[in-house]
Amino acid sequence: MTEAKLLVQGIPPEPLDRPFTVIGHSISRIDGVEKVSGTAEYAGDIQLPNMLCAKILRCPHAHARILKIDTSKAEALPGVKAVISRNNFPDWLTYWYLIPQFAFPEIVSYVGQEVAAVAAVDIDTAERALKLIEVDYQELPAVFDPEEALKPTSQKVTPLDVPDSTCPRAPAAWPVGNLYEGKTDIHTRGDIAKGFQDADVVIEEVYNTSYQFHATLQTRSSVIDWDGENMTVHDSCQGVWQVSQDIAKSLGLPMEKVRVVVKYQGGGFGSKAGAQRYLHYASRLAMMAGRPVRIELTRPEEFISHPHRHATKTYLKMGVKRDGTLTAMEGRSILNLGVGSTYGNQKEKLIETAFELYECPNVKLEQVAVYTNTPLTGYMRSVMRAIGDFFLEAHMDRLAVEIGMDPLDLRMKNYAVFGDQVKKLPYSAKNLDKCMKISTDAIDWKHRDRFVEDNKNGPIKRGIGMASYMYDGVGMAPFKASADVVIKRNGTVEVLAGVVDIGGGQATMMAMLAAEELGVNVNSVKTVWGDTGPTQFAPGTHASRMTAEMGPAVVQAAANARKKLFELTAQRLSAEPIELRSALGKIQVSRDQQRSMSFEEACQLIPDGEEIRASGSRKPNPKDIVFHTFGSQACEVEVNTDTGAVRVLRVASAHELGKVLNPKLVDSQHYGGIIMGIGYTLLEDPEFDSKTGIMLNPDLHQYRIPTSLEVPEILPFNIEAPDPFFAYSAKAVGEAPIVPVAPSVRNAIYHAAGIWINSLPITPDAVLKALGKSK
Amino acid sequence: MTSIGELRLHMEPKTLVDENRHQNQPRRVRRIVLSINGDSHSIEVDARSTLAEVLRENLRMTGTKLGCNRSECGTCTLIMDGRTVFSCTILAVEAEGKCIETIEGLASGSDLNPLQKAFIKNDALQCGYCIPAMLMAATALLRVKMEPTEDDVRQGIAGVYCRCGAYPNIVRAVLDVSRGQVDC
Ligand code: FES
Ligand code: FES
Repeated sequence: MTEAKLLVQGIPPEPLDRPFTVIGHSISRIDGVEKVSGTAEYAGDIQLPNMLCAKILRCPHAHARILKIDTSKAEALPGVKAVISRNNFPDWLTYWYLIPQFAFPEIVSYVGQEVAAVAAVDIDTAERALKLIEVDYQELPAVFDPEEALKPTSQKVTPLDVPDSTCPRAPAAWPVGNLYEGKTDIHTRGDIAKGFQDADVVIEEVYNTSYQFHATLQTRSSVIDWDGENMTVHDSCQGVWQVSQDIAKSLGLPMEKVRVVVKYQGGGFGSKAGAQRYLHYASRLAMMAGRPVRIELTRPEEFISHPHRHATKTYLKMGVKRDGTLTAMEGRSILNLGVGSTYGNQKEKLIETAFELYECPNVKLEQVAVYTNTPLTGYMRSVMRAIGDFFLEAHMDRLAVEIGMDPLDLRMKNYAVFGDQVKKLPYSAKNLDKCMKISTDAIDWKHRDRFVEDNKNGPIKRGIGMASYMYDGVGMAPFKASADVVIKRNGTVEVLAGVVDIGGGQATMMAMLAAEELGVNVNSVKTVWGDTGPTQFAPGTHASRMTAEMGPAVVQAAANARKKLFELTAQRLSAEPIELRSALGKIQVSRDQQRSMSFEEACQLIPDGEEIRASGSRKPNPKDIVFHTFGSQACEVEVNTDTGAVRVLRVASAHELGKVLNPKLVDSQHYGGIIMGIGYTLLEDPEFDSKTGIMLNPDLHQYRIPTSLEVPEILPFNIEAPDPFFAYSAKAVGEAPIVPVAPSVRNAIYHAAGIWINSLPITPDAVLKALGKSK
Repeated sequence: MTSIGELRLHMEPKTLVDENRHQNQPRRVRRIVLSINGDSHSIEVDARSTLAEVLRENLRMTGTKLGCNRSECGTCTLIMDGRTVFSCTILAVEAEGKCIETIEGLASGSDLNPLQKAFIKNDALQCGYCIPAMLMAATALLRVKMEPTEDDVRQGIAGVYCRCGAYPNIVRAVLDVSRGQVDC
């Protein structure tokens, strides 16, 4: 960093003028001991005196009108302490990431929707009470297929989402028919008719992707404590401040009366951003009963009740010249929202990758979002990007084969330099070409036809494929990200960050940033996180935004704290504060390094009973620069043409992230994304009954996620490039590595076995069908 | 969506409540003695309770986690008489007289054992929720196979899901320990 460009409120701190001492080192995560010794406390581990258990009654129909609910027998059951339903809360709105939703509407719109909830002294009693609740339903016709739902004659779905133009995630208007907000999103540039005329080859395909479920190992759990005035929610969420906001709004409490605490949480992957529906019911029950309430969802409930990755269908047509120049692209993506979604601020994300990843002068892409009588959809590890990358990168390989060009060359040939091809806005940094080169070299792309001879014999065919991607994770609205750094007299440092460590090592990274900026060892820094009590408002840990958004705030807070400490120290060292430098726990005068004192000694100068406290706040990204992260993966697969089984053998994953804060933690994100991506691509196959809308495999036996046996050899590469807007240039990694897995594996399957498969997941059955071996 | 006909019955509250709970059985309290990590615990339990429930709720040993409560995910894995078992699918009364080992027994005081250290060193943990089970599965494996191959390790932990995808590091950590390569 040369120029002070850090994205913070006020004057950015000067970049450090010394080599890093903490950043870039593979430091073990600071909460490792708790996690390996079983002492890490997750919400479901908490038992409070007098605690009740809550259970939710769910609707067995995909679409029905509730004519009557009789809860009297349940209420009369000894041990039942509170029962809620539309009888006592008919107009209640809950909030999910500030999207208003009906809590107990008259019309229920998917199998599994909440109809009533009970709190009782133990779980057996609560379950028995559910069975005593009598509900009269009038069944209504339901629609599950989004294209069906778009027809004017279709049954109209009653979505859970209530329009709210003040909330960027909520719809701005009611649907028209079942079309979200009554309109589609269209991105265009140039003249596609002319573009297709200019093409030598035009290819049209249809791509389908299935739902993907988060399948976090910890099922959603919370313990809610209500003392008659204040609420404490011990939660397993990804954003304590967002949950506090949602719950306060839903229960009509001021936000400062809803404290949300997460000590540890067992996986989120986007699904635990914002307060989820179950939590509203449980909180209400705690208020009514005046006792603490614990709620834990069962594994089947996990599948049917929380928002997951959308299913999509995309019609894509692209034109290319024989020399590889893309001339036109036209597409229409249909997105199944289910009965509600965090779709609002994901608008255009599905088609944006296709719009910007390659240079193409003539483009028209349309995104159509549709409500159906299927479960809620929402954030999940690169929720839209993973889908958008699949159809684009699949199509790119198809074009390359049609014109007889190396797929890597085709991508390089159409490399997009600008972040907005019409306005010609620059990217803050883009080294996708490097990523492509490194990932393909690692897998010996040049000799990728080395398998051709062996593939002629026997059922096992090997092949190599690749895909590139772009990802966000660099700061997004709505914006408020602040952190505090506290230096204590005993020489310890605290970073107060209102975020959640969801397993990415966020707490460790915050501590490292503060340690680097203060010039102390990381062991003397503690991160206080996951608690709205002592922290300032911060974003939820999702959308891979933590480092990019909170990083600058933490660095600024630490720089401000250091400044205050230097002011105390300067006189002792007979120097001006500006002359002081600190590193590895030592403060020195820059022009005379003999004059120094330890950080601990300096802290002794803090007056008794006081501490140094300083704040930092991120500012939004400037509008005239485009911020993204980029990457590329190449993989080697093995296809068994007798059984249809596909094995991914090796994946080389190159991701451009600015600066690696902690190599060990970053590599773990490559592993996590790629392994989940393999599940998405090959294994995870949710099935719904087409007549009833019932999920047929809401369990981890039949909805299969990857085990240790499906894991390929993974070669992570992190491409660094200065991006002074961020904390030491560090941007995002978390979600990105899942994005190109599906297209690169799919392209490798073609390379191995000569079959194009355009639907996810690519099950053995789908492979055999494509080979003409099964119907 | 495939049609397999009317499935409404299948959907009645049954799948939405926890099937593994023996709710139709009458509650019967029994006193049992469990041997856990070398200590004897004499406790009164509901005869319907699973071992995982008794550990977590009665004994407050919450290191053992639950992820499905019906033998799907392996999160509740612990060691009973030397073998890994899913504690969500064993009744506490069945565990009487058996030698039970849980995550709480791995460290001596605040001294982590080599496997635990290797997990930290290799970043073999993300959210950490599967880690107690992974550690117990790896412990059981290393007792029967002191020099496992990578394949042995993968097989040995295959009964435990890790949705965070820490598998490559977990395998490395176990191999490190088997090769004596932990120096923390
Ligand atoms: S909790 Fe899933 S197998 Fe026991
Ligand atoms: S570390 Fe999160 S499930 Fe394994």
